[in-house]
Amino acid sequence: MGFTRYVTARVAWAGVVTFIIMTVTFVFIAFAPNPEVKRAATQAALQGGDPTEAVERVRELRGLDQPLHVRYIDYVTSIATLQWGWSTMRSQPVTAALVEALFYTAQYSVPWTLLTITIGPLVGLYSSANKYSWRDHVATGFAFFGYAIPNFFFAIILLLVFGVWLEWVPVIYRTTVPVFSVENAIQLVLPVFVLVTGSIGGLMRVSRNESSEYMNADFVKTARAKGVSPLRAYALHILRPTMVPLSTTMVGQLLLLFAGSSLLIEVVFSIPGLGRLLFEATIAQDTNLVLGSILVFVLVAVIGNLLQDITYTVLDPRISYDDR
Amino acid sequence: MPRKPFEIERDDRYMSRREWLSMLGVAGAAGIAGCGGDGDGTDTPGSADTPTDTEATDQTQTQDFGDTATPTATDRPLPEVSGTYDTVSSAAYSTLNPLFNTEDGAGTAIGYALDLGYSFTDQQEVFPQHYDLTTDDGQVWVFDIRENLQFSDPYGQVTAEDYVYQIQELHQNDTFPTADSSAWPADVNVTQNSEFEFQAELPSSNILWPQTFDPLLYPIPQDLVQPYVEEEDVEGMKQDTELLELQFTGNLGGYNLDEWNRGSGTSYSRSEDYYIRDIPNAPDSFAEAPYFEGVTTSVVQEQSARLGALETGEADVAAIPPTRFEEFRGKDSVEVYQIPQPYNVPLAVNMRDNGWNAGPGNLFRHTPFRQALAAAVNKNDLIEGVYRGLAKPHYTWQPEFSRWYPADADLPTYGTGDLYGASVAQDRAMQAFEMSDHDYSFDGDTMVNPDGDQVVLDLYHSAGQETERLTGEFVAQELGNNLGIDVTVSAIDGTRFDSQYWQGQSAEAGATDEAYGKTFTWERPSPTNPGPRSATSQQAWDMSLVYGLNTFPRNPLTNTAFFDGATGFYNPVGYYPEFDAAGLFEQARQATSIDELQSAFTEIFVNLAEEQPYVMLVFPDSLTGYNPDLVGPIENFSNGWNFPAWYFEE
Amino acid sequence: MATQRPERFDQVNWEEVAGAGRFSLSTNAKGLLVTTIPLLALAAYDWLVLDERTPTFEPVGLNVDVPILDYMFAFTLLLFAFYVVLPLYQHPRLTKYYWREFRRNRPAVVSLVWLGVVFVLGLVGPLLITSPEQNVLHSYQPPVYLSVNAANAATCAGEVVDGMCFGTWQYPLGTTRAGKGVFAMLVNGFGITLKIGFISTFIAVVLGASVGTVSAYAGGWVDEILMRYVDIQGSWPTLIMYLLIIYTFGGRLWLLILLLGTFSWEGMARYVRSKALSISEEEYIKAINMSGASAFRVVRRHVVPNSASSIITDITLLIPGFLLAEAQLSFLGLGDTSVDSWGQIIAGGRDALAFAPWIVLAPGLVLFLTILAFNFVGDALLDALNPEAAAEAER
Repeated sequence: MGFTRYVTARVAWAGVVTFIIMTVTFVFIAFAPNPEVKRAATQAALQGGDPTEAVERVRELRGLDQPLHVRYIDYVTSIATLQWGWSTMRSQPVTAALVEALFYTAQYSVPWTLLTITIGPLVGLYSSANKYSWRDHVATGFAFFGYAIPNFFFAIILLLVFGVWLEWVPVIYRTTVPVFSVENAIQLVLPVFVLVTGSIGGLMRVSRNESSEYMNADFVKTARAKGVSPLRAYALHILRPTMVPLSTTMVGQLLLLFAGSSLLIEVVFSIPGLGRLLFEATIAQDTNLVLGSILVFVLVAVIGNLLQDITYTVLDPRISYDDR
Repeated sequence: MPRKPFEIERDDRYMSRREWLSMLGVAGAAGIAGCGGDGDGTDTPGSADTPTDTEATDQTQTQDFGDTATPTATDRPLPEVSGTYDTVSSAAYSTLNPLFNTEDGAGTAIGYALDLGYSFTDQQEVFPQHYDLTTDDGQVWVFDIRENLQFSDPYGQVTAEDYVYQIQELHQNDTFPTADSSAWPADVNVTQNSEFEFQAELPSSNILWPQTFDPLLYPIPQDLVQPYVEEEDVEGMKQDTELLELQFTGNLGGYNLDEWNRGSGTSYSRSEDYYIRDIPNAPDSFAEAPYFEGVTTSVVQEQSARLGALETGEADVAAIPPTRFEEFRGKDSVEVYQIPQPYNVPLAVNMRDNGWNAGPGNLFRHTPFRQALAAAVNKNDLIEGVYRGLAKPHYTWQPEFSRWYPADADLPTYGTGDLYGASVAQDRAMQAFEMSDHDYSFDGDTMVNPDGDQVVLDLYHSAGQETERLTGEFVAQELGNNLGIDVTVSAIDGTRFDSQYWQGQSAEAGATDEAYGKTFTWERPSPTNPGPRSATSQQAWDMSLVYGLNTFPRNPLTNTAFFDGATGFYNPVGYYPEFDAAGLFEQARQATSIDELQSAFTEIFVNLAEEQPYVMLVFPDSLTGYNPDLVGPIENFSNGWNFPAWYFEE
Repeated sequence: MATQRPERFDQVNWEEVAGAGRFSLSTNAKGLLVTTIPLLALAAYDWLVLDERTPTFEPVGLNVDVPILDYMFAFTLLLFAFYVVLPLYQHPRLTKYYWREFRRNRPAVVSLVWLGVVFVLGLVGPLLITSPEQNVLHSYQPPVYLSVNAANAATCAGEVVDGMCFGTWQYPLGTTRAGKGVFAMLVNGFGITLKIGFISTFIAVVLGASVGTVSAYAGGWVDEILMRYVDIQGSWPTLIMYLLIIYTFGGRLWLLILLLGTFSWEGMARYVRSKALSISEEEYIKAINMSGASAFRVVRRHVVPNSASSIITDITLLIPGFLLAEAQLSFLGLGDTSVDSWGQIIAGGRDALAFAPWIVLAPGLVLFLTILAFNFVGDALLDALNPEAAAEAER
């Protein structure tokens, strides 16, 4: 199998996965009780109307009286055409809600991602170069501190100290400040700091372990013997092969955190991002919005996995396309 | 509904309760509830022909509800316009469309840009904002609209036609499920008298109609909604940008909405031509109103962050939990207000067939047993421990500050003094055992069922609501210590409790049941009063603290909804009044004088205290912290009615 | 990824070398069987004979009830004893070797001690200190030797000096808003932590290892389907699913444990599969196959024991994940409020952080230390079980 064919197959598979997940979600929602129908029944009863009639009317209005396969086809079509419906929780189109939330999520997730993928491997490399020394322990300890301390716990404590006691940062996140401004940078310092300390641990650990495999490899020794400067040796001979397995972890790790931790950080720092959007939609039973945000998260995960696999095959020529 | 332009959910408990109440349109979200613009108030079927006019009624109601505003001396210069008034809330708004909003928080947010028809002053008098209400007989009410009200272009002046169209084509139209539709049943006859006057003829007289909040309306331009009405396009109207973003509000509110960021809140800027400046009989301080350059609301989920913002001055107002009230009272950066309010914390006991899962029969149905429960819970300890003294004991269905509270009557005060303790409680319980067909008894101090096993009951409270959980645990301990009942306390999600436990599956219309030698007939079963005790919810439950209810101190007639057994539309617990509730409420409706009204209510409230349809626990005070530079807030149930005159002291 | 790696220490088939493998393995199985039968009998007795409300040990005069979760927990404990602890004892030479490697990482040794403390406290603590009762009058008592503004404490159990309420030994770590002792809650939290750790891990290991080996050995379309499923599960936003399910069904502890275990084994399955694939290439396996051993036997005797190192390392990553997930869900208000898990204590105390920080700090610190310890131990295990990198570094 050639590279192109492999990628094509992989992309096709990503499409299939998305499709399956969306179908499962549809089934979930189709069989869950619909709050709107119930509300209509209540309303009718209160006004002396006939609840059964009201339920029928709402079901008709929402298209719920149609057979399942028709609804399913409608559902797939509207997903494909980006007509994701109206969010009752926010009184705006689902797509607009997602774009708006993504805008705020991106403001902290971009610096977070960049900082993580630069600092993580470097600390790991440093640690493995000084393995079992006190430097290793300090570096490992620092990375592990961030990894082990629960994000939300760390966040509320930092917010209390720097927001309420020292008043260095605002307690309330302001959406009104411009994106590229000092105010915005200040209010994003804590969330980004917490997230970065939380995520470098994993990367650092993998890069430490992987690079220690190469640290004493023959080709590195040869390079050193030839008089290659230590910095160059680290950068070219150790970091590069380390990046192969690391890239896998890196993508995986970041995606995981993108979907998970950001919700808690958004809750603590009142950032109206994607995580909170989905969480609140779930609580408010805003079906369209739940579907929309699940779709976004699934797409992110599927594309991430895809990129991860492709990166892997590109970076490591030894891996054959047949063997995943 | 008086304008409550501040953040009102002090304790999370209120949120779910009120969300739910407004959803059903049951609660007259009086005072504290702020302007929900929701289905506020019940349809109170009144039938009295009382010649008393409302002015007289209101004037007698002074000082009952707390402090009054410091009169602004006339020689005092008007305040400077300065600063922005920053508020925080815990939940985002789902809609700002005034026609469909049923949430308090959003009602407040709408209120900054759009006033409601009238409000109540600190003296509990009706304060006309957009229109004045007058009546001769309590049946025909005349709405007199001010002539200086302007919508934004191109909608022009606010006229009676706009209101009449709104009522007839939206609220009274089954197609449009507006928030106010329950306030305007089809049998209210609305007619336009002139350009600025219309009248509503009620099916029967109701001298306290304004106090039910039913005639409370937002002005909505007819031209804006007409296309949707003609198309019967409900979704279109719900999603209309002009309605959602309040772009039509003209001079009808103190501020104009600049931005509604769905995730993080709203911001407003000062309106230069607020109509309220020119209205007659308004406080002098309204002359240049409003006095803030702008208003912002921010959604902050974490309570600690909200309080932090209040402390650092980022927010000018925030609700304070009871545990931190004392602490904040001592802080210079915050000024705290303790305001009594009429929302209660009752222990609901399920008298329907799926209640009492501890054995055969249902002891909750016997009045002495409910008295036993009430006597087993020490109200003062509950107030001291859980509410830190910032609550009032709840003996009958009326707060003590209400003028209808039967202060002079011999009210049984279960849960305090002689009416508290194991012996009283066990004594009442034993009376109930004798009334029961089944062989319940005490084995030592343990209540046992006919099989000889200890009585075990479930108690539900809303998940994530700390005060409610503590109350639940406290009640469980008290019932364990004094009645030997083993109570299992569990948290449950509010929405889930509502749909599966609280709301019942309606029986056939016309279903009947007999009790106390009376026959109860359900003409209109609804999910909240699904029928006789055999009509139940999907899931069995014993006791619940999930919902608190309004006790309607301004117009207690509204309480018919809770206690009229078969006809009241709110009876999830399956309560049948042993006393003549229907007759007494009718007597109150027919009352021709305040004294008559008072005596009917006194009898009702004494009976309710005796029967404990819900085991009544406490009235928590509302606790709010303000920026100390802010001039305006008062410790009154109507706090916020004069919000246009609030300002920051230099 | 079946990259061929040079033969490793842990890949040597120890049972074959020691010669006692055949017998010792069945000792473990026998031990497990002998101890599990009474457990099952007790469970059956509890289920069939006693009614729902009667405590399990009431007939013998003890008022101790055993919930279903505890049977699961006891079973996983037995598994742990017979398949992790006992083999270490049975192979002293290997154990010594691992210990020597492990010992070089000193933080890991300290961490192991801490995990031991967690284990013992979690096992014994809840038996000695029962879950505290609510006492609202004693809310927000400070830890001993510390003080709090008397305005925040309902009534002070200790002395009040200058408006400050001082802590007492009655509540060594202070109390929560409900007036429950933080220390007692914490101790009970150790028990909850153990349950989450053990049971979820057990579920994940069983699922992961089975899917991995089945996939590797069946090959063909079975492999394809299983691995594709693993892909899907990997792409599925797990947290969202937790939210949906827990929000719908309520956050009971057993549901949480079940969910955590059921949706976290993808990595494990991939590990085991690739390990199984690479082992099947080994000469000795070919030899065993030729001598007529069944596939099941090969899996049980060679693949699973040889994947043990990867599985154990993976576990050290899984468990902190479980603990974090529980704490996060509790923080979002979706946890089980009826248990004193660390996450619940943190979630309950966060509103009081400004004036009663001990409520959040004590469980937060313990949670932090435990996760940290797992990471250090996992790291050291990786080094110990991957001797090549370590041995090279020594030179």
